Amino acid sequence: MSMPTAVIEHLQGDFVAETRPFCFLVARDYTLVDAWGDGGWTNLDNLEVGEDMLDRAPYLLGALAEEPQRLNYISTGSGVVVHLLTIPHGDGHYCVVLDAGQAHDQLRDKQQSANELRLLHASQQKLIARQRDLITELVEAKAELDHHRRDIERGSAGKSRFIAMMSHEFRTPLASIINYADLALEPDSNPAHIKKSIEAIARSSRHLTSLVEAVLDEARLDAGQIQLRERNFDLYVLLDDLAAMMAPLAAEKGLAFATLVDTDVPQSIRADDVCMRQILTNLLGNAVKYTEEGSIRLYVSCHGGNLVATVSDTGPGISIEDQERVFRAFERGESHDESRSGAGLGLTITLHLAQLMNGEISLDSLPGQGCTVSVHVPVSAAEDAEEAQDVLPTPAEDTYATKPTSVLVCDDDEDMLALVEHYLHRAGYGLITASNGTEAIEKTLSYEPDIVLMDVNVPGTNGVDATNSLRERGYNGPIVAMTASELSDDEKRTFTRYFRKPAPMQQLLLEIKNLTH
Amino acid sequence: MTAITSKVCVVGDFAVGKTSVVERYVNNHFSEKYLTTVGVKVDTKEVDLADRGVQNKLIIWDVAGTDRFGDTEFAYLRGAAGHIFVADGTRPLTVGTALQLHKDIEARYGLAASVLLLNKHDLGGAWDVSEQRINDLRTEFGAVFLTSARTGAEVENALACLANLIVDNELAARQ
Repeated sequence: MSMPTAVIEHLQGDFVAETRPFCFLVARDYTLVDAWGDGGWTNLDNLEVGEDMLDRAPYLLGALAEEPQRLNYISTGSGVVVHLLTIPHGDGHYCVVLDAGQAHDQLRDKQQSANELRLLHASQQKLIARQRDLITELVEAKAELDHHRRDIERGSAGKSRFIAMMSHEFRTPLASIINYADLALEPDSNPAHIKKSIEAIARSSRHLTSLVEAVLDEARLDAGQIQLRERNFDLYVLLDDLAAMMAPLAAEKGLAFATLVDTDVPQSIRADDVCMRQILTNLLGNAVKYTEEGSIRLYVSCHGGNLVATVSDTGPGISIEDQERVFRAFERGESHDESRSGAGLGLTITLHLAQLMNGEISLDSLPGQGCTVSVHVPVSAAEDAEEAQDVLPTPAEDTYATKPTSVLVCDDDEDMLALVEHYLHRAGYGLITASNGTEAIEKTLSYEPDIVLMDVNVPGTNGVDATNSLRERGYNGPIVAMTASELSDDEKRTFTRYFRKPAPMQQLLLEIKNLTH
Repeated sequence: MTAITSKVCVVGDFAVGKTSVVERYVNNHFSEKYLTTVGVKVDTKEVDLADRGVQNKLIIWDVAGTDRFGDTEFAYLRGAAGHIFVADGTRPLTVGTALQLHKDIEARYGLAASVLLLNKHDLGGAWDVSEQRINDLRTEFGAVFLTSARTGAEVENALACLANLIVDNELAARQ
């Protein structure tokens, strides 16, 4: 049933009043054929037939299709918004333009609110994402900080371990030095005792020097490893040295001490003698420390290319449970007596040193039945042992001065000055001493010695500056640096020769003779 | 001098700056106020391509922002010789929308001259499209411009590029 005519007419009236329809007919080339109604409200007035409608209504371009089209809400550029209806008719199109301004404004207000809300939501999402990123960054930064903190803690623990190791490793030779020095100073010591004591002090000092070298090597290596330095050496001399160092310490506690060497053990072997000495010193030192009565025995043999050194004692022994722990850093057996000194590193270091030498350690012990530790390290027999350096040798005859020669020694350490003076006098050299750089310059220029021995770290003008000053002021004699510090290459070039302290006296004397004769 | 009249449609997600780009190009003006476009806004601009002997009158249809087209929007695009796809460089999702709209239009009406504008390039701190992504877009899309309707940067170049591409197609079609 159709709507009543009166209603339809009323609605049509409302529609026309609201949309102000304007209709025109255009050909396919957009020229005007005819027009109906008032198009003034949309600037389509005063139209002429044949006029190009694209100039008046550019939105027609592309809007003419084979079937009726409706394009809503076209803002035409002059504040006018229209709906465009195109209806094909013959060779052209009817185009109906309806005023959509009022509906457009209402719709735009709603759309504006909706879009602003969406923008706000997008902005919030972005902020939330940024916040999430920041939290992630924060967590990562915290993890990195924790990592650094653990590194620092590990570094600190490493430093503590280092100090503990120093305490343990240095104590044994230091004890030997102190005890022998006391022995030599006793009023009733005869020259033979004094000589023996000094020899023992020299051996322990040499061991200490070796330790310092090893520690410095270790400090230079990132991985904290000690570099092996293999050389040919006389094993019997090493064993004699160890016996001479340990036997008195054992005797002090009333312990018997014996060293036994199998006949097939070669006298000269190739290995790292410093490591070997340290391993055996640690094992023997531990044996002496923990054994209260009975004996200590060092037995050396060869098996399948390995040198086997076995240290046995009659001490308290180590329980099975403790045997693994004693090889871990800072741990001792449950039965450890707290009165004994040391950091609990001896066996750890010994194990690491043996492993460094591609060797191994075995432990055989039961509580109350003493302890036997065996070290197996691969060694090879050597033709000849390289000559070991003496710390305090008597000057050899080939180092004696054979013509009047004066030496200026600059050193702020009185003991070192006295030591050098002793050797130089015995080798027949004239001596001039200075205790600082300024004094060295003055005396060198006054007395013109044949050679200058210059400590680098002296008060006032240091050795390098003093040497440069002497060169500038015309002194042409050899100047030999003696220092405990590292020198740069440029600093080394300042001097004729360069010696690290402690300089082997024999070598120093030989160098002095070479430079002055 | 050859005269060409070309319909160009500007499309992209809402609030990416389509109307601002057109306003900058046609009237060299920029407004900070965001005003939603409803339907379509039609402007014209004549481009003088003197070196090619062509006068190209662009009838620019600035289509309301959307992330997908319906029949109403597709009707606006009928007869377009070129498209300007606009995305907001501070909202990476709108880049994806522009690419999707490009595919949809191509599927409906076939290939046409197109340029992609990554707009709001003046908002350096909020910019969120990486160099790598831009390079990828250049490979995928060809003509990509980092524009700013606020400063006018690259807007003229982008439209000149599109006008030339349209002329290329027009001249090719006439031969």
